[in-house]
Amino acid sequence: MGVGVLVLAFAVFFILPFAGLITRAIEGDRATWDLATSSVARDALALSVWTSTVTVMLAVVFGTPVAYVLARTNFPGRSLCDALIDLPIVLPPTVAGVALLTAFGRRGLIGEPIEAWTGFTFGFRTLAVIMAQTLVAAPFYVRAARAGFSAVDPQFERVAYTLGASRFRAFFRVLAPQARSAMLAGVVLCWARAMGELGATLIFAGSLQGSTQTMPLAILGAFEGSNGLTGAVALSLVLLGVALLALWLFRVVAQRAGSEG
Amino acid sequence: MSLEFSASVTLGGFRFEAAFDVRNEIVVLFGHSGAGKSVTLQMIAGLIPPVDGRIVIDDQVVFDHAHRINVPPQLRTTGYVVQDLALFPHMSVVENVAFGISGSKGDRRTRASKLLGTLGLDGCEDRRPRSLSGGQQQRVALARALGRGAKLLLLDEPFSALDESLRANLRRELLRLRAEMGLSIVFVTHDLREAHLLADRIAVFDDGRLLQFDTRDTVFKRPASRRVAELTGVANILRGTVVVAADGRIRVRCEGFELNCVQPQAQCEEGDAVDIAFRAERVVLRRAVPAVAPGQNVFAAEIIEEFAYGTGHTLRMRLAGTETVLDAELSARPYEVLHVAGRRAWTIELPAEDLHVMPR
Repeated sequence: MGVGVLVLAFAVFFILPFAGLITRAIEGDRATWDLATSSVARDALALSVWTSTVTVMLAVVFGTPVAYVLARTNFPGRSLCDALIDLPIVLPPTVAGVALLTAFGRRGLIGEPIEAWTGFTFGFRTLAVIMAQTLVAAPFYVRAARAGFSAVDPQFERVAYTLGASRFRAFFRVLAPQARSAMLAGVVLCWARAMGELGATLIFAGSLQGSTQTMPLAILGAFEGSNGLTGAVALSLVLLGVALLALWLFRVVAQRAGSEG
Repeated sequence: MSLEFSASVTLGGFRFEAAFDVRNEIVVLFGHSGAGKSVTLQMIAGLIPPVDGRIVIDDQVVFDHAHRINVPPQLRTTGYVVQDLALFPHMSVVENVAFGISGSKGDRRTRASKLLGTLGLDGCEDRRPRSLSGGQQQRVALARALGRGAKLLLLDEPFSALDESLRANLRRELLRLRAEMGLSIVFVTHDLREAHLLADRIAVFDDGRLLQFDTRDTVFKRPASRRVAELTGVANILRGTVVVAADGRIRVRCEGFELNCVQPQAQCEEGDAVDIAFRAERVVLRRAVPAVAPGQNVFAAEIIEEFAYGTGHTLRMRLAGTETVLDAELSARPYEVLHVAGRRAWTIELPAEDLHVMPR
């Protein structure tokens, strides 16, 4: 009885906000629809989708070897590396944004000399968006992949070596297929985190339509702008739709992977 | 097919040092878990580098500390089967076996299927390993290890997860494969019967050290030390002092009695402290006292405890007038014929040639 009430209260709390959004959509007039399909919304959505996808690709390409090394080798300072990779997960993204500025900003550790030599600055470029997303979201992939690798008995790879397999082949044919669902889960988490990134992007990249204004930034902009809540609702609905679509897609992919494995 | 092995290594607090060789035979590495058997296999396979030593597989030096040679496991062509088999769960049976085979895709599949046939696994090609029985999985692991054409098989307690009837079948299979394919096998086990059944030669390990390496019969009949005797299941080990030693005949004084032993190769002198080992099944039970010839070991003894194992009986007996307790083993039929159950006091004989004298 007591448990039931708790569960119900929790469920209502989670369902109500979405109900609110959808009610607005149903009641929505032409203005809402126009805002949802405006150039601001289209630019922001396109930017969000492609930068998040690039972020995931970067996370997989650079993060997989890191996850492998952390899971399979024992070196002094490994637990320190572990903690460092988890840091962006527990850190508020705004802090990550500030940290990026101190490194790559115009007065930053590297940013300043680079600008002095080449005139190149990181701010207000799509590159900055991807950097902010990668710093904040890639650890989610690394963490998941690392846990997936650790869960596979190293005996499999050792046997593969005695059967003539290189480290490379043992990884791709023996370890990775067995850690596939963990790696996929990491990809989903990383992509979702990148799609939702706001704080670090706002501070490090700014909010410039078409080049650094991702969906969350556009929602913030709309909320503070002339259309107020109506604009924010319109964009939020678009983002909710994309998120649901992505979730469904990943489920299908994961299920197919699962049934093969 | 040959293997020369000599290596030492320290892993954490565990120190290991051993040397032995394998020549077209089955060598069983025998000992408790943690004795260094699996470590030995991993060093042969190239998965753990020794700190010092030299390993030669078929005239190819695969490890030599002095010459800084350490051939990676990929190039050592050993067939390594681990205790839990480590069959790749995401591959079919035939893919598992083909994993180590090189060549075109069709070629590999053909050869893998052929190997599966050799091991009696026709029709299992496209199944997943986990859908097979334990005995079948075992065969798949063997087939996979043989896939690269390895002539040296390294088997780490491969049958330990199976029940006894399956183990017997697989042992027979292994002996057949060995004869057919000309394999040399290094077989790790802590099962005494398995060791006895399979081994041409036995290496007895204890706590990271090789205590004895010799033919099966020698290890079982003539253990090198008290520890080897204990590990190989010798129930009776008595302490004593040599009284007379001449022409392979040794007379040893124990607590309250003396024993005559025949052991041509023993090297001991009067006054040496020795251990005498003999197996429980070597103790002879007699109803009546025969005329005792000189050099015979005949004693009055009393049964103080009895254990029935279904196939046989172990009798714990105390020698009359002493504190010495021995185990005697009797199979079911003589136990019944002699009416052992109805009588406590017996005469026992310890045949002089079955008493093995070891220096202490």
